[in-house]
Amino acid sequence: MAAKLPPKCPPQGDHPLLEKVKQTFGSAVLNHGVTPEGHLCVLVPPDKIRDVAAAVKNMGFDHVLSLSAVDYAAEGRFMVTYIFASYLTPELRSQLLHIRAEIPRDNPKIASIADIYPSADYEERECHEMFGIWFEGNPHMGKRFLLDPDCCVDEKTGKPLYPLRKDYKVPDWGLTG
Amino acid sequence: MAMSQALREFLLKKAKLESLFKWGVRWSLWPVHLVTSCCGVEVAHASGPGFDAERWGVLPFHTMRQSNVLLVEGTITRKMAKVLKQVYEQMPEPKYVIAMGACAVRGGLFWNSYHVVQVDTVVPVDVYISGCPPTPEAVIRAFMMVHNKIKGKPGPYVEPVKVDLTPFLPPPPKPPAKPAPQQTQQAPAA
Repeated sequence: MAAKLPPKCPPQGDHPLLEKVKQTFGSAVLNHGVTPEGHLCVLVPPDKIRDVAAAVKNMGFDHVLSLSAVDYAAEGRFMVTYIFASYLTPELRSQLLHIRAEIPRDNPKIASIADIYPSADYEERECHEMFGIWFEGNPHMGKRFLLDPDCCVDEKTGKPLYPLRKDYKVPDWGLTG
Repeated sequence: MAMSQALREFLLKKAKLESLFKWGVRWSLWPVHLVTSCCGVEVAHASGPGFDAERWGVLPFHTMRQSNVLLVEGTITRKMAKVLKQVYEQMPEPKYVIAMGACAVRGGLFWNSYHVVQVDTVVPVDVYISGCPPTPEAVIRAFMMVHNKIKGKPGPYVEPVKVDLTPFLPPPPKPPAKPAPQQTQQAPAA
């Protein structure tokens, strides 16, 4: 019996931004839904994330509030989640826009949006460090940002390990006994 | 000013100069804060007018080069461990280290994190304070334990008092009686 897969998007519902999002995104909307907090969530293909980010910026969302990833290790995919918010547009101040994109786990690459949204730069660097997702176009990929340089490194091969992946094993530093 | 020969001989031979030195150190323990988490609030509380730890000579100070107690208040990550080592090595002798709070003692909430170290793997620790966060009384008690250590009698500052609570509490429930042992099983038929 197969395990119940987590949903890619919350259940669909009415939202005041939905019509505008469908018009501006066009064919990039794979699925959409409304989160329990009442925010619109849109699933987009990963190769169109830059077009979507530019369209979101035209809608009036002026910064990236959060950028994170979810590791669905059993299914071999990462779900990259962007949350956009607005300071300057008064009617959007109560709204958050969730944009999700699915990428394969064995080749996690997605285009960087750091030149469209400068506030996504640090988030992308942290996400790269914690999950190993390569944001193409961000010049800081492959460098350590928050972690200690000596930590989370494979001792045999010297390659970096990514501590928030589900298959990461915390080394025994004497704290577990 | 030249000390008179008699006084010098008195201080060196008759009076124990070491005890004078220890007395001076004991009543001027100036902690330098390494506030990496919320325990710093409790130290501020202990130094405020309510508890007033300066009655025991505990003056919170801001530079490690003029302090002699390192008060580690909170979680030490692997990056912060280098700072902790540098701060410890800049302090003049004699120096004492107090690990305050569950995070500093054993990792606390973050015990199985990929980035948290224990304080005693970086610097030698003299006194541990348990609690999350510890109370200001516990902070003052830790400084009293440093006092005792300087005096040469390391150990807990207060001994736990044994109190007989049987007049006030109901007697503990008796364990249920064990069932009578079963009869020995008959040998299975061949």
